[in-house]
Amino acid sequence: MKENTKHIIATKDLRKIYKEDGLEVEAVRGVDLTIESGEFSAIVGPSGSGKTTFLNIISGLDTPSSGDVWLKGRLLTRLSGNELSDLRRDNIGFIFQAYNLIPVLTVEENVEYVMMLQGLPKHERHQRVLNILKQVGLKGMEKRFPPKLSGGQQQRVAIARAMVSRPALILADEPTANLDSKTGTALLQIMTSMEIPE
Amino acid sequence: MWLYIKLAWRNIFRNKRRTVIASTAIGIALACLLFFDSFIIGLEHNMIASATSSFLGHAQIHRQEFRHTQEPAYTINNPDQIMQSLKQETIVQAEKAVSKVDDAVRKGDFFKGQKPQDIVIGSELAEILEVSLGERVVLTLAQAESGDLSQDMFRVSGIYHFGVREMDSGMVFIHIKKAQDMLNISGQVHEIAIKFKSLQYASDDNLAFWSKYSHNGNEALSWGELLPDLKGVFEMTGVFRSVMSLLLMFVVIFGIVNTLFMSLYERMFELGVLRAVGTRPWGVMKLMICESGALAVLSIAVGLFLGLIITGLFTITGIDYRGIEFAGSVIQEVVFPVMKPFQFIIYPIGLLLFMVLVGLYPAVVAARMSIADAIRKSL
Repeated sequence: MKENTKHIIATKDLRKIYKEDGLEVEAVRGVDLTIESGEFSAIVGPSGSGKTTFLNIISGLDTPSSGDVWLKGRLLTRLSGNELSDLRRDNIGFIFQAYNLIPVLTVEENVEYVMMLQGLPKHERHQRVLNILKQVGLKGMEKRFPPKLSGGQQQRVAIARAMVSRPALILADEPTANLDSKTGTALLQIMTSMEIPE
Repeated sequence: MWLYIKLAWRNIFRNKRRTVIASTAIGIALACLLFFDSFIIGLEHNMIASATSSFLGHAQIHRQEFRHTQEPAYTINNPDQIMQSLKQETIVQAEKAVSKVDDAVRKGDFFKGQKPQDIVIGSELAEILEVSLGERVVLTLAQAESGDLSQDMFRVSGIYHFGVREMDSGMVFIHIKKAQDMLNISGQVHEIAIKFKSLQYASDDNLAFWSKYSHNGNEALSWGELLPDLKGVFEMTGVFRSVMSLLLMFVVIFGIVNTLFMSLYERMFELGVLRAVGTRPWGVMKLMICESGALAVLSIAVGLFLGLIITGLFTITGIDYRGIEFAGSVIQEVVFPVMKPFQFIIYPIGLLLFMVLVGLYPAVVAARMSIADAIRKSL
């Protein structure tokens, strides 16, 4: 497969084999996948089927045992550590299962962290933070620290953090797993209804 | 960079108890270093004062050959002219300011009258000779040049006790005129001891004083050259100070590495998230180095506070080692630690740099960690 910049993600014969205690476990077995811009895709499977491993590989957090991954046309296995960091910073928003906010940073600081890495000016960061927090229903909570928020509120901060830098791809791994069904449903509605500004 | 400093500062206060324990341990090490250093400086001052306040002085003038041969014939050339010149020196204290021998006299007095037959002897010599105040002793000398023996009878007018065995058992004092007569060196002297207005002059090798009085067959030497053993001991204490610093730094190493690694492993997920959202490896390194620096700043604050309190207290009370002989010199006064500004500047800066350097190890580990492993349980 040639690098195709139309695809946000493209994989070819992607494999990941873990070796533990002399045993080989094939977590990802020959995956060919393309995800276009604007697509909303879900990867489903039982626990231990390799979903997280696959997400790790396509986001450049882990390396495949064989096969290729392109993110916005760039072959990940050819990139250096810094190039991968920059690629993730500018193109991927992560929403983790366990929120994984930085507890010593306020809500505002957590959300603007990626934009600080991108070097956006302060006034623009501030404006974007206010807008996105309003969209996720956390207006007025900018100065609070994550431990003072409920699980649902923390995950909404995580969603705001993932979307505020306007990434090409948002990867969410079981974002509602730690939430009750009502909160989880509300959160999914927020995610699907939010528009990422161009 | 400000972001990392802010993050680091907040991070070290996440586990207050651990931070307090670590910074106190490192702070105590710094306080120990400050105290030990101040004590050594105080001890050196004390030893120099003890050595130079007897009859050594801060400097001496001799005939060049005299020091090595102790030959009575080698008297100072033109002593009167030298004495006149010394009186004009602004850095030299008034005449007879050198010796504190009279302070060491335990029985009798130190030449109160002008009796030419008075002799002041050491306490151990008095015991050996079994003489006491008022009793007579015979002194025999070999005359200069001829070597003929010269004898005279003296009466013990004072008994001194320096605390140094060689001096207490092997040295006597008589009137200079009497000594000149017995040695047949009329008007001549072997040694002029000088006390400067400040001891610092004696340490200044470039002082014009040395060349001015080291000519015409004479030599002017500082206490350091006259007592090379004592100077050698001070150089050795410099090595001890370095070893002590090194040992304390080892304590610091384990303190920092332990604290930073505990903090690192506790926050693996978080660091993984920071890397996942786009922080470069160098960014994580900077964060860990900033944490090490923040811990250093706290530790230095604790160390300076403790060091200032403890050392400051002993600069008032002193440490009583009187009577203990060290490097051939007896500690005669209470030792007062001496605090110098450089200790409170150089050592903290050194500790900060050292801690940042040691912090590089966990920083590199953090930067090189596998992001997938770090967040395996969350993503």
